[in-house]
Amino acid sequence: MVERALNVFWILLGAGAAVHAWQIGLVGSAGPESGLFPMIAGLIIAGTGLTLLLRTSTAARVPGWPRGAALGRVAGVVAGLAVMAIGVSYLGFAVASAITMLVLLRTIERTNWVGSLALAFGSVAVVMWLFGQVLGMPLPRGPWGW
Amino acid sequence: MNRTALAVAFTAVVAAVFAGPLAAQGDARAQLAKMKPKDFPTQPIEYTVVYPAGGGMDVTARLLAKYVEKATGDRIIVNNRTGGAGMIGHSYLATQAKPDGYTVGVLANLVWGDAMLRAQGKWQLSDLEPIAYLNSDPLIWITQTEGAYKGKSLKEIVQTAKDKPSTIRVAVVPGSMWEYLVEQIESSSGAKFLRVPFQGGGAGINALVGGNVDVAQGFYSEFRGHLDAGKVAQVAVAATDRLTSFKDVPTFNEVLGGNEYVWNVIRFVVAPKGVPANRKAYLAAGVKAAMNDPDLINEYRKAGVYFDPKLANSTRVAADLNQYAERERAFYKKTGRLK
Amino acid sequence: MDPLTGLQVGFSVILTPANLYYCFLGSLIGTLVGVLPGLGPLGALALLLPVTFTLTPVAGMAMLASIFYGAMYGGSTTSVLVNIPGEAASVVTCLDGHQMAKQGRAGAALGIAAMGSFVAGTLSLVALTFFAPAISAVAIRFGPPENFGLMVLGIVCTLFMITGSALKGVLMIALGFLAAAVGIDVVNGRERFTFGSLELSAGVDLLALVIGLFGVTEILLNVESMARNSVIAERVRGLWPTLADWRASWKPILRGSGLGFLLGIVPGGGPVTASFMSYAMERRIAREPQRFGKGAIEGVAGPESANNSAVAGSMIPLLSLGIPSNPVTALLLGALVIQGIQPGPLFISQRPDLFWGVVAAMYVGNVFLLLLNMPLIGLWVQLLRVPYRVLFPIVLLLAVVGTYSANKNVFDLWVMLGFGVAGYALRKLEYDLAPFVLAFVLAPLLEQSLRQSLVMSPDGAIIFAKRPVTALLLVASAVLIAFMFRRQSRAQGGTK
Repeated sequence: MVERALNVFWILLGAGAAVHAWQIGLVGSAGPESGLFPMIAGLIIAGTGLTLLLRTSTAARVPGWPRGAALGRVAGVVAGLAVMAIGVSYLGFAVASAITMLVLLRTIERTNWVGSLALAFGSVAVVMWLFGQVLGMPLPRGPWGW
Repeated sequence: MNRTALAVAFTAVVAAVFAGPLAAQGDARAQLAKMKPKDFPTQPIEYTVVYPAGGGMDVTARLLAKYVEKATGDRIIVNNRTGGAGMIGHSYLATQAKPDGYTVGVLANLVWGDAMLRAQGKWQLSDLEPIAYLNSDPLIWITQTEGAYKGKSLKEIVQTAKDKPSTIRVAVVPGSMWEYLVEQIESSSGAKFLRVPFQGGGAGINALVGGNVDVAQGFYSEFRGHLDAGKVAQVAVAATDRLTSFKDVPTFNEVLGGNEYVWNVIRFVVAPKGVPANRKAYLAAGVKAAMNDPDLINEYRKAGVYFDPKLANSTRVAADLNQYAERERAFYKKTGRLK
Repeated sequence: MDPLTGLQVGFSVILTPANLYYCFLGSLIGTLVGVLPGLGPLGALALLLPVTFTLTPVAGMAMLASIFYGAMYGGSTTSVLVNIPGEAASVVTCLDGHQMAKQGRAGAALGIAAMGSFVAGTLSLVALTFFAPAISAVAIRFGPPENFGLMVLGIVCTLFMITGSALKGVLMIALGFLAAAVGIDVVNGRERFTFGSLELSAGVDLLALVIGLFGVTEILLNVESMARNSVIAERVRGLWPTLADWRASWKPILRGSGLGFLLGIVPGGGPVTASFMSYAMERRIAREPQRFGKGAIEGVAGPESANNSAVAGSMIPLLSLGIPSNPVTALLLGALVIQGIQPGPLFISQRPDLFWGVVAAMYVGNVFLLLLNMPLIGLWVQLLRVPYRVLFPIVLLLAVVGTYSANKNVFDLWVMLGFGVAGYALRKLEYDLAPFVLAFVLAPLLEQSLRQSLVMSPDGAIIFAKRPVTALLLVASAVLIAFMFRRQSRAQGGTK
C-alpha cells in the first residue's frame, strides 16, 4: 500500500520536475540549458515509478511498518529533532538541545528522571564545551545571552 | 592674537610634526577607550563572513579581526555563514542578525548584486549600514606567456574577437562582474567571445594555465604565483587608474575609451540596520584603529590587495560606497537586469 | 633539489619537538573529528584555522594537514560500529564495515581500515615525493572535457553500486541528479527548483544530506526495533584482521591507493568520490559480487585506502601549483596566505623548507595515526557495549551540532531531518541509498563539465574525441556498461 503510494509519488514528482525543467529551457545556442539534466532525471523518475507501479515483482517483501510503542519511538525522535530545529533559533542551542535530550530520554527510553537529567545536561555541557570553548564555534544563543 | 596664544599654537604644531605617527596611534587608542560604551561589549563580537574559510574574503576578515583585537582588547570570532555564493550569509545579516552590535558583516560589494537582483524584495541594501572600508581588488585580464595570445595587447585581442567572432575563450563567473565586464566590451566593440563558465575566478585561472581558455580574469592575489613564475601576463586592469605596483598595465578605460570598465571587489564592514549609534561608532573606531596599524596594511599588501584612495581617505564611507553601488544599479538598469 | 635531499631537509625541519607535537596534535584532533558524526574535516579545519596564526607556517600546515588525513582514518570508526558515517568519505564503509561488526568482526574491519589508510597514505606520499612536479604538469592540463570523461565513468560506477532492484537503483540515481539541481545553476547563475526560497537557492548541503540519510535513518531504524540493548549483541571475535583477511585485502588496498591518488589530483575528484569509486570498482572486480553489502572486507579495505591516498594526491596541485582541487585544500591554501605565503609554480624551489617540511610531516603523521589508531580499536570495540539508549541521544546531538557547524544555517537541520525520514522509508522499501549520494556528488560536475566543454568547443561534441584522455575515459565507460549488460543477460539466461 505504502509502496504503491510511493510509486505514484515518483510519477508525480518526476512529471512535475520535467515540467518545471521544460519551463526553464532545455537547449540553448551552446548546448544544454539549465533544464536539460533535471528534465532527463524527471523523466527517468516518472518512467521507473510507472514501471514499478505496474510490475509487482520488484516490490519489497512487505516491510513491517512500526506500530504502537515502536511508532511512538520513531515519531519521538522525529519530533525531538523538529523541536531542536525550531527551538535553536529562539531558545539558543543550550536550552533547545537540553529539552530535546530530555524528551528523547524520557519518552523513548523511559530512563528515570535523575538519569535523564544527568545525561541530558552532561552531554549538552560536553558538546558546548567542545564546540563553543575548544573549537571556538559561535553556537546560537537564546534571548538570555547563552 | 596675543603672543601667548601664538606660542601655544606654534608648540602644538611642532609637537604634532615631530611626534608623528606614534602620537596618532596613541591618540586613536585613547579615543577608542573614550568611545567605548559602558555596557559593550560584554561577549565576543562575531565577524560574519559569507564565503568559505580560507578564501580571499575570509583571509581579509581574519587579519582584520587579529588587529582589531590588538587595538581594542575585545574578543572577536570570525564566523563563516556560507552557501548560495554568499546569499545565505547576506540574507542572515540583513534579516536575522540582532542589531545589538555583536554581529557585524565583513563583506564584499558582491552583496550589491544580491540585494538588487536576487533578494526578491525580502531585504534591501539599506538593511546593511557600511561602517568602514577595508581594501579593494580590481579585476585584471591575463593571458598565457606562450601560445596564440602570447604578448597580445587588449586592443589586439578585442580586434581578433571582432574579426573572428566566437573563437577566443574567456573564463567568466556567471552572473557577476566577470561576465559583466565581457558583456560591456562586447556591446561597445562588437566583438564576440566564447564565455566559458567557471565557479570562481581561481578555477578560470587554472584553466588558462592548463591551456583550456585563452583569457582569464582574476585578482592579483589569485594569479600572483603564476605571474611570478612567468606563466601568465597581465593584459589590462578594470580600475579607474593604473595600479601603482604595475604602472605598465593599462586600464580598460584608456584602451577602449570610456569610463564604464571599472569592476572591483570592494571589501568593507557593515552593521545590520538599527545598531545603537554609540556601539556602531565604537565598532567603526576599532576597525579604523586596526587600519591605521602599518602592520595590518603591510599584511594586506602582502596578500595582494590595493587601497582605493577615495574610499581609504573618506570620512563618509557609507555615502561613498553608495555612490559605487548606484553606478552598479545603473548598469543593471541599462542591461535590463533590473526594472 | 632532488627528492632525497629534499626529504632530508624536510625531516630536519620537522623533527623538532615543537613540530612533532603539532603533528601529533593534528593527528589526534583529526581522528576525533573523523569519529564524531557530523563534524567533518572541512568544518574542523575552518574552526581551527585561527589557531595556526600563532604557529610557524610549517607547524601550522603540519597540524592542518594531519587533521585532514586523520579525519580519513577516524571516519571509518562510527561507520563500522554504529553504521553512521563520521564524514562523507566514509559513507561506503558503512555498507560492509557495519555488517562485519554485526558478525563480531568490528576489530578486523577497523584494523584493515587503519592499515589500508597507512599503506595508501604512505604509498601516495612516496609518489608525491618523487613525481610531484611531473604530475602537476599533467594535472594542470586536465580541463572540462577531461573532467567530463571522468564524471561519465563515475556515473557508470553509480550503476555498480546498486545492490537490490536495478529499477529502484536507477530511480535513486535520477533522484540524486534532481536533488543536485536544486539551487543556483553554476553555469549561468540561474535558479532551479527554488520556488522563490532563499534557503533553497543555496542548494542541498552534502553534509546535511549524508548525516540525515545515514545517521538519522539508522537511528530511526534502531529506535523502532529497540529489542536489543546494545548496538551489537554478537560477541566480538578477535581484534585483528586474520591472515585470510589480509589475503583478501591487499589487492583492494593497492587498487584503492592508486585510484584515490589519481582522483585526489584532478579537480573533480577528492576523498568522497574516491571512496565511492573504489567500492564500485571492488564490487565490479570481485568474483562473488553478491558478498558485497554482507560484510565483504574488500568493501572496507578499498574505499578506506582510497580516501586517504586522495588526501595526499590533492596536496600535489596545492603545493606545486597553488591550486586547490577540493574545499579542504582551498582552506589549506588560505592558511598559507594568512601566513603571507602564496604557493605557486615556484613554491618548491623558493620555499624548499616549507614544501619538504610539509611532506615530511605527512610521513610522520601517517605513522602517528597508525600508532594512535591501532590501540584505539580495542577501546572503540568496547564502545559497542554502551547501551544504545545512552549512545543514540548523544550521537543525535553531535549530528545536529556537526551539521549546523558547516554553514551555521538552521535550514540545514531541516534538510538533515527530511532526508532522515525519507531514508527511513526508502530503506524499508529496499531502495539503495549509496548510489543516490554518489549521483548527488557527481551530477553538478558532470553537467558543468559537459556544458563548459561545449561552450569552449567551436565544433560541438567532437571536442571529446579530440582529447585523448576524454576519449579513453568514455571508451572505458562504454566497455564497462557493455560488460554489465552481458553479465546481466548471462545471469538471466542461467536462471531460465
